[in-house]
Amino acid sequence: MKRKFVVAASMAMVATLALSACGGSSDDAAEEGGPVTLSMSGWSLATTPEFQVLADGYMAQNPDVKVELKEYDPVNYNTLLTADLAAGSGPDIIVQKEVKFVSTFQEGGQLVDVTDVELPDDIGGTEAYDIDGASYAVPYRQDSWVVFYNKALYDQAGVEYPDGSWTWDDFAETEEALAAGLEGTAAFGGYQHGWQSTVQGFANAQVPDADILSGDFGHLKEYYERVLKLQDDKAQVDFNTRNANQLTYQGEFGKQKAAMLTMGSWFVATLIAQQAAGEADDFDWGIAPAPQYDESTAGIDNVPVTFGDPTGLGINAAVTGAKLDAAKDFLAYAASEDAALSLAEIGITPALLNDTVVETYFELEGTPDDELTEFAVSTHKTLPENPTSSKTAAIQNILLDLHTAVMSGSEPIGSAIDAAEERFENEIGD
Amino acid sequence: MTGLLAPPEDARALRKLADSPPPRTPRATSPWRRTGRIGLYLVLIVAAAGLFAPFIWMITSSLKTSNEVFSIPVTWVPEIFVWNNYVEIWTKSDMLTWLRNTLFLSVVVTFLQVLTGSFAAYGFARIRFPGRDALFLVYIGTIAVPWQSYMIPQFILLSELKVSNTLWAIVLLQAFGAFGVFLMKQFYETIPEDLSEAARLDGLSEYGIWRRIMLPLSIPALASLALLTFVNTWNDYLGPLIYLRNPDLWTIQLGLKSFVSSLYDTNYALLFAGLVISVIPIAIIFLLGQKYFVEGIATSGMKG
Amino acid sequence: MATTTATEVAAQPPVSPAPPAVSGKRRRSRLRRRNTLLGWSFILPNFLGFALLTLVPIIVLFYMSLTNWNVFGTANWVGFANFERLIGDGSFRISVLNTLYYSALHIPLTFVVALGLALLLNNKLRGVAFFRTAAFFPYITSIVAIAIVWNLLFSPDYGPINEILRFFGMENPPGWLTSSDWAMPAVVIVSTWRDMGYYMILFLAGLQTVPRELHEAARVDGASTIQRFFNVTLPSLRPTTFFVTVMLTINSFKIFDLILVMTEGGPGQSTLVISQFIYTKGFEESQFGYASAASVALFFMCIIVTVAQFLLNKKRSV
Repeated sequence: MKRKFVVAASMAMVATLALSACGGSSDDAAEEGGPVTLSMSGWSLATTPEFQVLADGYMAQNPDVKVELKEYDPVNYNTLLTADLAAGSGPDIIVQKEVKFVSTFQEGGQLVDVTDVELPDDIGGTEAYDIDGASYAVPYRQDSWVVFYNKALYDQAGVEYPDGSWTWDDFAETEEALAAGLEGTAAFGGYQHGWQSTVQGFANAQVPDADILSGDFGHLKEYYERVLKLQDDKAQVDFNTRNANQLTYQGEFGKQKAAMLTMGSWFVATLIAQQAAGEADDFDWGIAPAPQYDESTAGIDNVPVTFGDPTGLGINAAVTGAKLDAAKDFLAYAASEDAALSLAEIGITPALLNDTVVETYFELEGTPDDELTEFAVSTHKTLPENPTSSKTAAIQNILLDLHTAVMSGSEPIGSAIDAAEERFENEIGD
Repeated sequence: MTGLLAPPEDARALRKLADSPPPRTPRATSPWRRTGRIGLYLVLIVAAAGLFAPFIWMITSSLKTSNEVFSIPVTWVPEIFVWNNYVEIWTKSDMLTWLRNTLFLSVVVTFLQVLTGSFAAYGFARIRFPGRDALFLVYIGTIAVPWQSYMIPQFILLSELKVSNTLWAIVLLQAFGAFGVFLMKQFYETIPEDLSEAARLDGLSEYGIWRRIMLPLSIPALASLALLTFVNTWNDYLGPLIYLRNPDLWTIQLGLKSFVSSLYDTNYALLFAGLVISVIPIAIIFLLGQKYFVEGIATSGMKG
Repeated sequence: MATTTATEVAAQPPVSPAPPAVSGKRRRSRLRRRNTLLGWSFILPNFLGFALLTLVPIIVLFYMSLTNWNVFGTANWVGFANFERLIGDGSFRISVLNTLYYSALHIPLTFVVALGLALLLNNKLRGVAFFRTAAFFPYITSIVAIAIVWNLLFSPDYGPINEILRFFGMENPPGWLTSSDWAMPAVVIVSTWRDMGYYMILFLAGLQTVPRELHEAARVDGASTIQRFFNVTLPSLRPTTFFVTVMLTINSFKIFDLILVMTEGGPGQSTLVISQFIYTKGFEESQFGYASAASVALFFMCIIVTVAQFLLNKKRSV
């Protein structure tokens, strides 16, 4: 009895292994011309219109191709996608939600080489998808981090609006001035969300020669010290309270609890929608470029450096034949100016940000119409938040622990950096 | 176990004592006892308040606007009562479909788990065969492995069997767990062997013993297993997340989460409204099913 | 009760007979086969589902721990390299210590509270059904809601708990979930609050199996409530207490959901437990082979403790 059981179990095991080892099993037979259907992954379809916009735009130009959306849960997107790809039921067009998973998909042979897809010259964000000289996805959207500021609260505090020339010291000074001016009210000078990127994203992108892949994290020290000081001076809500009370950046800025906020450009669409629906207060706001490391990149005559990751489209390696041609064509469309225009119309910052696109973006009702905002949205050098490497996910986890330890006051920044570098040696060092 | 049972004649006398109503002695109504009672009630009420507190916060938050839910300081009472959250859940979301799916899953899984679990537990508890203990250890061992560890191989397997993206995937996943077997086995062990012996002598087969003796005597255990399985399946999130992709297969937890969130944004007020609605059926089942948990049973069914 | 003749008894061999000296061996083997078939016929329905859906994936998991699978590529054999790496992995060590710390607090606390609740609510107090529902409510409330509410309650500067502590004169109340020293105790509190109703149910069911005659016999003999508890209730509850202890131990070692939504392993790594380590390595860093090795390690931890409990229980119930 026992032996039979063991034999049966090992046969089942071998079967499962064989299945799991061959990745995408179901190969779509090449279509002979005629209608082609492509499936594309997307998340929160009801509240995230960009996927449908891309699909509709392409289908309008190519009536013999059908693009169907496959809904995924936004928070667990990569887990679900991984499970589907492992079982061979993944979508044809794979939306690359996070850059840190691109190398995993590529190393696992899940993505088609799309170097031959034609891209417009001035499109941003392509470096994220270059691995070993070949390109594995095409960006359609590039977010970057900027400063949102509440003009009404600035007026109330008697502080001058940003002029685009800030370094981080200027930023900190202004926030303290705002806090002083708003003393006695419920509003703080600024709001910093709990993510590690609010500190590390800037540090990694702006400090010269900073590279988290090298295991050297000393460049973070200055940025953390500055933030901790702002926290101690009560210019912004402290990290612990922020976490315990689970404050949201939409709530804090939208309900005028903070005069300014560093956040990604995706917030524009949300803020406009919330102001229209009455969930956020009605006030005038603007966007300023991210504060800079030093004066060499500050000011509207220079190109400010900030960070942000692109969102792109990749093609499932199981797709072949006529379907593959259609898929590549779709990718080319998504990167094109036509797609960029339709995305800009719904308040999304596309990867292609030329003048026409920027103009369309600002035609959206509710966007601020001052010059600085236009400059901040259109002119920036955006470096990746997550460098493309198989080590990135692990490194970001180490840095996340550093972030929570330092911001909660559990560990001083110096020893936290040492501990993180040690962990890098221990867990990642090749 | 046999050492603990009272001899039959005494058992009869004691049973009479145990079953008869407690004597009305003055002891029952002394003032000291009464204050003790009141003190006990006070403690219980405070404890109950503490236990219900999070749920109460959930209810009041479900009546706020989404940006009002989290703030400093903590607000217990909403500024404006947004009853619309509940209306929105019922009319704009697919709540009825989700309810239907969740109900189907919970009922089927509970039924299968209780049936096969108690059946298998009898084999483990009452029948001695070679390899029994080792096999039982294997059963318990599987409980010791966290689900996310073998989730992917399991997913691949179920996808190959073509049941992924159907409700049957969840049924298969949950209905044959080791927990039910373990629970029922332990309860069967509290039932004296002599009962089964007598039944065997009467000519009852093992299956008959299971059906006519073990099952009726283990109603509290069956009720507990049924309740816990029902609750776990009702509230299960990760399993349905991975296996139920079509929106018309979604369970309440899945549907709610998807209805209220986008990538960076979750409408918590709406979410809480949905969760409040979701908890009510379970609370009702629990309240009504109380008597099955504490039903007195005759353990010494020795006739005569 | 029907009378049975000696022949009828002999015709139906009882489960564990004393074999007659002469044809003992053949009788025993025939009996064994009968029992095996009988036993398996009971187990089979459950076992089929269990073997296919749980046992096979777990066996695959064990195999994966000896490879460097990243879920997409082929699984290349690496032998025990993953386990060697685990031993040297500082984060893994931290997660094991945290898990043990959590379990050492959570297991006795939950056991005592749940048993106490069951004893308390196992009588005919008026409204006892309501109180039982209250005790069970935390378990049926969504984990997301629980994490949110307790985060608020534990808020160091604005939360009610610290306000009460300050009211009673404590100048520097603990930072709870925001402090690396107090995060784990805070998690234990919430976890116990949530689990006590669950185990209370199990204890309640178990208490129904304590024969009332024994209580009466003891009372007639003059035993006090406490004596009755230790000499009648507890021994009769042994199968239940064994069950609860094993489940409590395994669930404590495996704890994942609650900590993930409450602290995500932070601040720093102060609440990182083994299950989260497994999840991070597997799903965020795609090192499934390594994560499987950690799962196997967790498995053995649980098994060793469970077997110890098994043996202890066997010894006691003789």
